[in-house]
Amino acid sequence: MGGKVTCTLGEVKNRADLIVYWGGNPAECHPRHFTKYTLTQKGKFVPNGRKDRTMILVDIRETPSAKAADLFLQVRPSKDFEVLTTLRAIIKGQRIHAETVAETGLTLEQLQDFAERLKKARFGVLFFGMGLSMTRGKHMNSAALLALAAELNAFTKFVAMPMRGHGNVTGGDVVMRWTTGYPFGVNLSRGYPRFNPGEFSTVDLLLRGDNDAALILGADPGATMPQPAIDHLARIPTIVLDPKVTHTSRLARVHITTAATGISAPGTVYRMDEIPLPLRPALKSPYPTDEDVVRRIYQAVAKKPAWLPAGKGRRNTEAN
Amino acid sequence: MASKRFIMNAGRTSKQGQQINVGKDHAEYQGIVSTLTMHPDDMKALNISPGAAVCVRSEYGEAVFQCKEGKVPAGMVFVPYGPPTCRLMGGGTEGTGMPTSKNWEVEIEPITSESK
Repeated sequence: MGGKVTCTLGEVKNRADLIVYWGGNPAECHPRHFTKYTLTQKGKFVPNGRKDRTMILVDIRETPSAKAADLFLQVRPSKDFEVLTTLRAIIKGQRIHAETVAETGLTLEQLQDFAERLKKARFGVLFFGMGLSMTRGKHMNSAALLALAAELNAFTKFVAMPMRGHGNVTGGDVVMRWTTGYPFGVNLSRGYPRFNPGEFSTVDLLLRGDNDAALILGADPGATMPQPAIDHLARIPTIVLDPKVTHTSRLARVHITTAATGISAPGTVYRMDEIPLPLRPALKSPYPTDEDVVRRIYQAVAKKPAWLPAGKGRRNTEAN
Repeated sequence: MASKRFIMNAGRTSKQGQQINVGKDHAEYQGIVSTLTMHPDDMKALNISPGAAVCVRSEYGEAVFQCKEGKVPAGMVFVPYGPPTCRLMGGGTEGTGMPTSKNWEVEIEPITSESK
């Protein structure tokens, strides 16, 4: 099964009476989530706000988000897939042995109660974070959760949504999708998009040393990626565009300071439910916008002669 | 000095998020990403006092952190992402494009004046 049954955060605000956060810590990482969309807001079909909603938190440790939860389920590390699969089996009425459930850190009774709450919701949401998608199992964990959300629609309305990380990371995915058909890990070197995570994704390219230059826009891989990938960025000509000096700026050959989007530069940001929001700058900046810098680099590169040998280059293709 | 194996859970904190807007060069940010939270019983077992330095080794590298007591399950430690966690992270993505960013197996050893 593939795909994602989802909705907008506006629908969550107006309709959701069961909120599940799985492998995420919104109290610290998305501090406005509870108050803007999921818990305390009064919605059209949840007029009493927090009183009309139930929140369940699933995580491997008791984070500050647990204080806001009605029910906290502490799963053993790397056992999320087993818990999700067991929930799917319970919902389908299959037999489960209590001893096989014990390794997850939860009891069969806890999971049966959880499954019952999921089925009885009027409108349920499964929000999932990096605690699910970046641990052992990775995309298979996400797929199991998305399948659970889809299967719950046999009983009630249920949706799922990833808790996206840094500002506008959703925008990167969405724009790549509507321009190339793929969300990330896209190779355009042949003049058309090819998608292959593990081969064309950034960390893999850097680790293998496949690329001989890098342009980093609004990201700080020098503080987030594995050390061998960082070491490769330091070896090759790396150019960073960022409003601030970052760890990546320190290892780059060139750092270009740009205006901060949303503060001193206009633009569009995508919310985690993929709704585009226009940004109007409140202040002026002496620095150019990212868009200005990229456009000027593009224009300068376009003036250079084609690097491919005559007869094999882009110009020849265009002439045909 | 004895060492012990732990599950290292890296993540983000709100203090870290606030500090990013001040600047990653500040000592406060460096302090946040170099502080490891451990269960009090584990600290006693390893004879680590609050604020003491520990050496964390993974399959891929090692880094030094300051240790503090906190609300984590026994056998697990929590650290905010940053340059020290980059040194512990493996590069393999298993075809997904993303390295495993949480739940690494690590070995933690207190740093004493002898080991310095």
